[in-house]
Parts: sequence; C-alpha cells; structure tokens
Amino acid sequence: MSFKELFPAKHLTGFISSLLLTVVALSVLFFDVSMKTGVVILLITAFMQAGIQLVMFMHAGESEDRASIYTHTYYALFIALVTVLGTLLTMIWGYK
Amino acid sequence: MKIDHSVPKEYATEENRLKIFGFWIFIGAEVALFGTLFATFFTLVDHTATGPTGKEIFELPPVLIETFVLLTSSFTIGLTVHAMRMGYKKAMLTFFAITAVLGAVFLSVEIYEFTTYVHEGAGLQTSAFTSSLLTLLGTHGAHVTLGLFWGIFIMIQVAKRGINPETANKTFIFSLYWHFLDVIWIFIFSFVYLKGMM
Repeated sequence: MSFKELFPAKHLTGFISSLLLTVVALSVLFFDVSMKTGVVILLITAFMQAGIQLVMFMHAGESEDRASIYTHTYYALFIALVTVLGTLLTMIWGYK
Repeated sequence: MKIDHSVPKEYATEENRLKIFGFWIFIGAEVALFGTLFATFFTLVDHTATGPTGKEIFELPPVLIETFVLLTSSFTIGLTVHAMRMGYKKAMLTFFAITAVLGAVFLSVEIYEFTTYVHEGAGLQTSAFTSSLLTLLGTHGAHVTLGLFWGIFIMIQVAKRGINPETANKTFIFSLYWHFLDVIWIFIFSFVYLKGMM
C-alpha cells in the first residue's frame, strides 16, 4: 500500500482544483469588481466545482445506469434553475 | 443472489446497482428542495425589516473554515471509497473517520455561527431575510448532522463485518450523499456569503 495507491492523481487533481476555484471565488471580495461581474465569476466557479464533485468524486458515469443518472441529474438541475429563475422573475425582476 | 466479481463490490448485485441508481433519484429530489430554499432566500434577501443585513452579520473566518473543512471531507470520503475498492479496510476506516471528524468540526463552527447570529439579534423570526437564511443554512446543517450519524453507523458495520457487497454499497451511497452536501455548500458559500459580503 503506497501513497500513490491511497491518493490517486484523479482525486488529488479534483481536490486541488476545488481549492483553487474556492480561492478564485473568494477574490470577488478583495478586488474591486462590480456586483454583476462578481456574480458571473461566482456562477462559473460554483458550477465548475459542482461538476468536479459529480464527475470525479461521485463517479456519475461509471455504471450501466450512466445515461439514466445523467438524464435525471440534468432534469433535477433544470427544475432547480426554473424554480430559482422563475421565482426571481415573478417576485423581483418583473417589477423593476 | 448473483454476485458479479467483474465490477466493484458496491455494484456486485442487481439490488446494489439499483440502490445506487435510486439514491441518484433521491439526490435529484434534494436538488429541487434546495432549489426552492435558494429561490426563497434570493427573493427575501433584501427584506431585512428592522434586523441586520447580511453584510452586518456575516464573518469571513468561520465561513472559510466551514468551506475548507467540508471540501476536505468531500476529498477524504472519495479516498474512503477508493481504499474500499482496493480492499484496504484499515485505510478505508481511517479516511472514513477523518471525514466524520471534519463533519463534526463543520457542525461545531456552524453552531457557533448560529449562536453568534442570535446574539447579534438575527434570529429565525427577526426578518424575512434571517428566516430564509437560517432555513436554508439549517436545512443543510440538518443534512450534515444526519449524515454524521449515518456515517458513524456505517463505519461500525464495516469495522464489524468487513468490506462486503452490502457494506460497500452503503459506504458508496453515503459518499454520494456527502459529496452532494458539499455541492450545496459551495452554492451557499458563493451566493449567500460571498455575494452577501460583496
């Protein structure tokens, strides 16, 4: 049992990239960016991190149910986005 | 029960494979649940009434500790499954225990955070903002609490019965749950705290 066996490159890469993305997200506090730019940066880093977890750590594509798992997860994501954006549209943006 | 040795133990029987698939369906429902909580929070975030705003109560250090602790625990539960697949029970349980300890650290910091909020006059009933904030954070925290106990029970089973198709399946499903909670936290960290402190 070696270090390489217990800490495979894939997991280390996933972990280090999630730490780096967190630092990038954090930078919105320390640089003078507008709210709009900040939110765009946060959207990119958050969804990239979610992707890392899903593909690298959760092994979403490794079994024969791969297609069903991805289809259902994208569907759930769609529902969540429609819920959030639809709520913002009807409760806030629609009145501006 | 037919055991297929060509795949990792957690997939070794049809029932195992379907349990993993079923858990992905459950995670989809959880995504929808947190979607509604985020929608509520984003709608009410500026409605602070006479209570404090996010900028006034959010503190970066505890939030950063929570974030790095949860990111690391997501990494160690990944290593748990990896060690499990190679049959290293001791390494598996060590990584599993580190995950549980990190989960407990996360919860301690979050409880500290919640008591600070209440002391600063930001309770569950203070304003629409604090209600939606604490409901969102609390639902995530309740999931972590459940996961902590769930994980401890699975560790005991692995320690007693070893790595077999049943315990491997439970461990793998737990790892899915734990990674999912990390994903939710990333969104809380980004769009509740960082956006709130901008």
